[in-house]
Amino acid sequence: MIDERDFLQRAHVDQTTLEVWIRESWICPASTTPERAFTDTDLARANLILDLKHNMGVNDEGLDVILHLIDQMHGLRRALSDALASLREHGKGGS
Amino acid sequence: MKDPYEVLGVAKTATPEEVRKAYRQLAKKLHPDLNPGDKHSEERFKEVASANDLLSDPEKRRRFDAGEINASGAETAPPQGRYYREYAGGAGNPYESAGGYADYAEADDLFADLLRRSREQARRAPGADLHYELHVPFLDAVNGATKTITLPQGGTLDVDIPSGVEDGQVMRLRGKGAPAPGEGPPGDALVQVVVEPHRYFTREGDDIHVELPITIKEAALGGEVRAPTTTGGVMLKIPRRSNTGDTLRLKGKGVKTRKGAGDEFVRLKVVMPKEADAELDSFLAGWTPPASYDPRKEM
Repeated sequence: MIDERDFLQRAHVDQTTLEVWIRESWICPASTTPERAFTDTDLARANLILDLKHNMGVNDEGLDVILHLIDQMHGLRRALSDALASLREHGKGGS
Repeated sequence: MKDPYEVLGVAKTATPEEVRKAYRQLAKKLHPDLNPGDKHSEERFKEVASANDLLSDPEKRRRFDAGEINASGAETAPPQGRYYREYAGGAGNPYESAGGYADYAEADDLFADLLRRSREQARRAPGADLHYELHVPFLDAVNGATKTITLPQGGTLDVDIPSGVEDGQVMRLRGKGAPAPGEGPPGDALVQVVVEPHRYFTREGDDIHVELPITIKEAALGGEVRAPTTTGGVMLKIPRRSNTGDTLRLKGKGVKTRKGAGDEFVRLKVVMPKEADAELDSFLAGWTPPASYDPRKEM
């Protein structure tokens, strides 16, 4: 787990920006500990948000749409790979 | 290394604004997180990113144009870090959304069936096996015992050590491992036994070996002495004229296993008194051994 200060430093974002991201649910830190804790997944996601904003000129409205679609796409990719794995497993069983 | 102008598809005379636009255009198509399954796009994106890195920095671009650095000078650009897609595909990604296929899962029997089956599998998957090391005193390993392991994550685990357990043996405690993530059975605990050495017993197979010190009087005249076994002392008859190295067998006093019991071998060791003994000295001084008593005659 990464603590908040470390996260800000490694993601190259300031506190205010992070607050906005969390409010928009673009980043959801773990809330089980008294302080916020972040994972490597959160960090990679922060890099993606910065890429989209600064390197591709996506504005906040667009960013919301894109993140939502990406999340759906990963859900879909996993469902597909689960389904494929299940097909293979089933095939091996010979039934 | 490709020409960065070529990679971005801009003219040598392109303005910074044109370079930026060209890069954005390509990044939107090629960014690895927007193409999670496409390895090729990552390679292309790296090229585009390093070309942009070179051309978007006026100083670097000037030096490149002047031939001071080559295109790979931009290769040392800070890497983008790991892409989100490398994390997003794993199980338990909190951001993942089922919105992209929820309708299939409801309506299409085939897809719904596949998903249901793979979820069922995940649900029934057993927990992980946990490995422990258990140090067992020598006598407990020979005779069997019940030991309690305190688990690192809290709680305890009672382990029945069968009599005759061997060093390095692994015991599998079914269902005592990590709980399953879903509704599957818990994993197993694998307990490796480390038998601690004993002060005077050693074990060879199912036999127990022990060295038993005796006095010179016991060695010369014989007699009954108490010999330790793994289950307590027993009286052992020392024959007359015993020697260091003579080995007596206590049948059935070895390690008891399901196959039967081994023996205990008692190796005698004659021990002289540590302190000076005037009586013994004067007796031996006045004693002339017979000619036949020459322990070195074979040498």
